[in-house]
Amino acid sequence: MAFIEVADPVSLVKSIILMVCAVLVVLGGIGILRYKDDLERVMYARIHILGLADMACILALLVLGEFLLAAAYFILAPGGIANAYYYGEEEK
Amino acid sequence: MDLLLISEYILLVALAIFCLATIRITTRKTVGMGLVGISGLAIAVATILILVKNIYGVGFCTDIAAALIILGPVGTIAFSKVLKGDS
Repeated sequence: MAFIEVADPVSLVKSIILMVCAVLVVLGGIGILRYKDDLERVMYARIHILGLADMACILALLVLGEFLLAAAYFILAPGGIANAYYYGEEEK
Repeated sequence: MDLLLISEYILLVALAIFCLATIRITTRKTVGMGLVGISGLAIAVATILILVKNIYGVGFCTDIAAALIILGPVGTIAFSKVLKGDS
């Protein structure tokens, strides 16, 4: 009897996708801290890295069966921060 | 032990690490960095709540996650309108 059990092939695929999401989320966390603040336009780089973690979380939500939440975030999230940055204090 | 449960725990740990990184970004001095940090924290906490619902069977976590996911980006857009000023 094996220590790790797999119920069916669908569970195996779900597990692999969740692990890939975990790797992407950790990479996003490292990448968002990596750049220094005095770089020019570092804000857009951080938004780009945040998009990676966002998509990983949306993929995880889809795998976990929360389709409505994933769709809501997929529609609402893009553009909000970029809009705020464009009109924010950095432009003054 | 089920492989799906193990992968859910791994994702939980990864999201906890990501939460710490986003909190660190939120403490930077500009407004944009705060918005980036809060946006990442909102989706990470929402995913953690959905994982908690799946692992431990706490039903109301879905409602809190829905509120976080909907109100997080709406708050960001509203804040950008406030920064914009005249509109």
